[in-house]
Amino acid sequence: MPVKGIKTVTAARNGVGAFILQCKRLDFHYCNYGGSSRGMLAFLTQTLPNFARENPQIEIRVSPRHSKHPIIKGHYINGREKSICVRNLEPSDILSKAMILKDASGEKLKQQKKPVASLNESVRGIWSPYHGDLRGV
Amino acid sequence: MFSRSVLRSLAADLRWSAPSSISSAAPLQQRACLHQTALLRTSQQETQTPYSPLSPETPLSATPRVQNSQPVAQNPPRVPSSDSALSFVPQTRADVPTAKQPVAPSFESPIQVTKSLMSRLPHLVGQSPHYVVAELHARPYLLTEGDHIRLPFLMPKVKSGDILRFNRASAVGSRDFTMKGSPHLDERLFECRVRVTGVESEPMRIKEKTKRRQRHTKQARSKHRYTIMRVMEVRVKTPEELLEEGAVVIEDSEDTPTIEARQ
Repeated sequence: MPVKGIKTVTAARNGVGAFILQCKRLDFHYCNYGGSSRGMLAFLTQTLPNFARENPQIEIRVSPRHSKHPIIKGHYINGREKSICVRNLEPSDILSKAMILKDASGEKLKQQKKPVASLNESVRGIWSPYHGDLRGV
Repeated sequence: MFSRSVLRSLAADLRWSAPSSISSAAPLQQRACLHQTALLRTSQQETQTPYSPLSPETPLSATPRVQNSQPVAQNPPRVPSSDSALSFVPQTRADVPTAKQPVAPSFESPIQVTKSLMSRLPHLVGQSPHYVVAELHARPYLLTEGDHIRLPFLMPKVKSGDILRFNRASAVGSRDFTMKGSPHLDERLFECRVRVTGVESEPMRIKEKTKRRQRHTKQARSKHRYTIMRVMEVRVKTPEELLEEGAVVIEDSEDTPTIEARQ
């Protein structure tokens, strides 16, 4: 008896109806002692409150990570996570790194040749030699 | 979805109430507001909770604050001041400066459609799904509803969640019918909306640069970023809609869009 695949019912197409930001959580890790965390500490006190207020849909966690470089880690709806090391960076640079994590889709980075990816069937159908008129050359 | 349908009905009402509508500016403005509804909802929740200047402003700093009995001068909510510019979230259209508001399209003349187009348009409208060949920076993108687009560039001045309307298309069609422009269709004939879903990047590319007779090689690194989008809607307007918006029916001529049936 042939094995039958399970037919998919729906495919997630975020943004067609409702739009959900794919980044669900950002972890900010810093070190109180290390010099590479100096910019991160300034960022946490000055910039992060506004950033958190502007993005209420993202959970934000701040935790120390002793004697390590500061990092930002983003957690995404698809289960993946991305982390960026922000050692020795200025608060403005750290903000731009946080924006990168916020806007990312969580997918693995890939080269893409084609700009459009579609799940739909071809609108005009597949050409068949047995249908339609005969055409002269 | 609820807010979308409500706004759409509102826009339809406006369209009904303005019969002499050469410019369909009012409904379009309503549509352009759509992406702000999410912001609006969150900001409404914020305004419902009483604003206390001490507690939520800097939750991370543990330094004690100076308590003063001076009344804090609260800004009126609609006027963003310079110090609170970072934390200010626009709530309605009135909060956005005029220079930054989306420009409603202005048309000098009503759209002109030929008799043959009007007679064939119901066939095209009735046959879904539709596709559109939208053009962006002179590149064609063949789009259907629900498609995922990764533009070959990073689009400036858009945020994730924004809704854009593609208004330049060379063809709109269904399975058996295609409406072709010469070279482009009038933007009042169809609607194609996309939602910006974020920014993606590619893996780091490393190109080795070498010169002859030298041991030294240089590595050139590049990592581009691209805007990703999702097609929300591809729709052809019905003849009734066109007539409501003030379309003028004319005789056939050379450079008017035509609907071709499949042979």
